[in-house]
Amino acid sequence: METVERRIKWASFLIGAGLLVQLASLLVVHPLAFMGFLMIGCPLMLAGIVMYLLSLIHEK
Amino acid sequence: MPVSVVLLFCVAAAVIALFVGYRVELTRSREGKILAFVALFALPVMAAWTGFSEQMDRATSTRFCLSCHVMDGFGRTLYIDDPSYVPARHFQNNRIPRDHACYTCHTEYSMFGGVKAKARGLRHLWVQYVLGAPKPEAIKLYDPFPNSECLHCHLGARRFEEGSAHNKVPDLLSRVKANKLSCVSSGCHEFVHDVASLKDDTFWKEKQ
Repeated sequence: METVERRIKWASFLIGAGLLVQLASLLVVHPLAFMGFLMIGCPLMLAGIVMYLLSLIHEK
Repeated sequence: MPVSVVLLFCVAAAVIALFVGYRVELTRSREGKILAFVALFALPVMAAWTGFSEQMDRATSTRFCLSCHVMDGFGRTLYIDDPSYVPARHFQNNRIPRDHACYTCHTEYSMFGGVKAKARGLRHLWVQYVLGAPKPEAIKLYDPFPNSECLHCHLGARRFEEGSAHNKVPDLLSRVKANKLSCVSSGCHEFVHDVASLKDDTFWKEKQ
């Protein structure tokens, strides 16, 4: 598998995981759910997006 | 936006993102690249934004504030069957939105009031889970309750401006408006969230 595709795979995994954490945090009304959304869900998703954007740069 | 829609949006975005990762060879074609952009950038950003606004809205709800056990007593004070208790009187008579009762009175109505409220919320979490929560009776505001929170609604109201209690001393109103005399000071509206005396109180039962 090419490096770019490997990066996209990792990006999709991170984004999927981040979105699932965000989803789980939306099922509960509690300050810890809010923190989980901000501190775990968002960084995971952001890391995935950055990895995807980097893969685009490297592809060129 | 309804919560169910936000949840569905998150599920759909997650499924599509994971699908692109599972079938990564699709991204070799032009259409696949477009799909990857939508799945790995556009949809996640939109899903996160809708989730974030839902979370921010929830963070102002009474249910959210009372979700920690230590706040149970404060929630019960809203149902005290005694009109001399200011929070109970406001809550039971719909003078504040019941769904956002805590936030309505405990946020600053200034440019960064919402941000400050969130920062205080983080401090609450730190105290609750790291330093150890105090007993409910020992919980105090970090700063004295500012009159601006009361004046946000009451300023200019006839009952507030012309009420006999507010005009029995000539400069009382001006001192209140200048935040030199607290609305919740002794002899005025002194009964607020008195959780220590809950066992002696009777409670209002809302008719269904």
